[in-house]
Amino acid sequence: MRGIVYCLAAVMRTKLAEQMAYRSHFALSVLLLIIGDLVVPFVTLLVYQSGASFPGWSLHEALLVQAVFTLAKGVAFPFFFGMVGTTLSQVREGTFDLLLLRPRPVMLMAMLTGFDPDDFGRLVSGSVLFGYALSGLSGPSGQSWLQFTLLFVASIAILCAVSLFLSGMLFRWVGSSRVFDIFDAVTSFGMYPGTIFSKSLQNVLTYVLPIGLIAFVPASALLGRNGWETLWALAPAAVFLVLGALYWNRMLRGYTSAGG
Amino acid sequence: MRRLIAVIQAIGFATYKEWAAFRSHMAASLLVGPVLFLVQVFIWQAMYDGKETLNGLTYSQMLAYFGVVTLIHYISFDFADWNLQMLVRSGKFVTFALRPLPHWLFAFSQKLGHRSLALWIEVLPVMALFIFVFGVNMKPAAPGWAILSIMLSFLMNFFINYCVGLTAFWLVRAEGVRRVFLLLKDVSAGVFIPLSFFPDALQKILFFLPFQFITYLPTRVYIGDYELAGIHLSLGEAVGLQAAAVAVAGVVTIALYGAALRRFTGVGV
Repeated sequence: MRGIVYCLAAVMRTKLAEQMAYRSHFALSVLLLIIGDLVVPFVTLLVYQSGASFPGWSLHEALLVQAVFTLAKGVAFPFFFGMVGTTLSQVREGTFDLLLLRPRPVMLMAMLTGFDPDDFGRLVSGSVLFGYALSGLSGPSGQSWLQFTLLFVASIAILCAVSLFLSGMLFRWVGSSRVFDIFDAVTSFGMYPGTIFSKSLQNVLTYVLPIGLIAFVPASALLGRNGWETLWALAPAAVFLVLGALYWNRMLRGYTSAGG
Repeated sequence: MRRLIAVIQAIGFATYKEWAAFRSHMAASLLVGPVLFLVQVFIWQAMYDGKETLNGLTYSQMLAYFGVVTLIHYISFDFADWNLQMLVRSGKFVTFALRPLPHWLFAFSQKLGHRSLALWIEVLPVMALFIFVFGVNMKPAAPGWAILSIMLSFLMNFFINYCVGLTAFWLVRAEGVRRVFLLLKDVSAGVFIPLSFFPDALQKILFFLPFQFITYLPTRVYIGDYELAGIHLSLGEAVGLQAAAVAVAGVVTIALYGAALRRFTGVGV
């Protein structure tokens, strides 16, 4: 464990130093992430201002779902999601072999190499949005906060699992940057109150492809809409993460390198 | 002129063949487009609950709006900005500076080839899915004006993206600027929501910016009714305005290209 922390600290230092070589680019990238994350909430705001709404959800409640989604990305993206880009470029260039030679687990090395400080910008936009959404709601109870915290961990686990699936896919589907579009498309279900979807789709989004757990379920818990039974949702998140890790390792075994 | 057309055709065809080898890359749109559209269907179904219209658009018009936006995105998709910045940053632009054809024309020919491939891999299959699976009315109100407007949108998107790419001649690392600009472009073009949902003051500003000519205007022309910032235009007037804006964008692009070339330094140049 100490070794992992040491590696992570070393990678963070190096990546930050690398970003400082292009400071204006770094600042712009962070700004872009902040603006980008606020686009969907901005659209939601415009729609609510036009007099429409998600039935049963006030503006602040709907924004809370999107804030939780952004916060989850703010934690998961810097640490896990970078491995998708790493696999994409290094498998294509043939430099992924270097990760295989290092004296640490390959999955860990792929995650560490993909560490991206820019993505912490999402924490800023997520926090601002989270604060704004909560300012229009009555304060959640201690029980709601506890449920939310546990479910937020599940949310991070799901994003980590999605990263593993997408990254694993790139061992076969070499060099396809469309995986980012696929991520955006599939997770877009998680940015809105789950009640707008049909009942069957809600079940799929909770238990089969647990995208709803990224934001909708934790936000509902914070709003006090769910009881303790909602913690059953932790199970599909754990299963999804294990499946992601198994899938990634299986795909890695199929990696043939540049030599065939 | 005939020789120039032959050159454009040759570059376009080479790009077509090159990208045909990566057709699965484009075919991912068959998943991405319909999934994103499905989310829009659920969102607007919920929003229209108990309402006939929102900002002058009915539910079926709203679905048609997002359907057409998706198709226009696939037709006019462009990465001239990324490509040009990569060429400048890596120094590979030198080889283009020496060719007897301006790079912007080369890039445009590439776009023609790339999007010709997309027509049958992305555009037509996704359009078929929208019509037969989602039941969206994708019939243009006035096919002639709609086709003309989409062609102009194709040009406008190229000119704007190329101008963004040209910033690489002035900035050391222009990727951040490019990404910020492209995001603002999409918001201002009406990709995420029709511009008629924006506050009145913003609509007035957006009317005078070039971005609405990429997505919002051609989409409204396709649907058969154009309105922004309280200004109603007939289809002919709207397309005429778009043509004028595209002409201005073309002149600006060529002028900027000239200025960029004067600034360019490379090994041996």
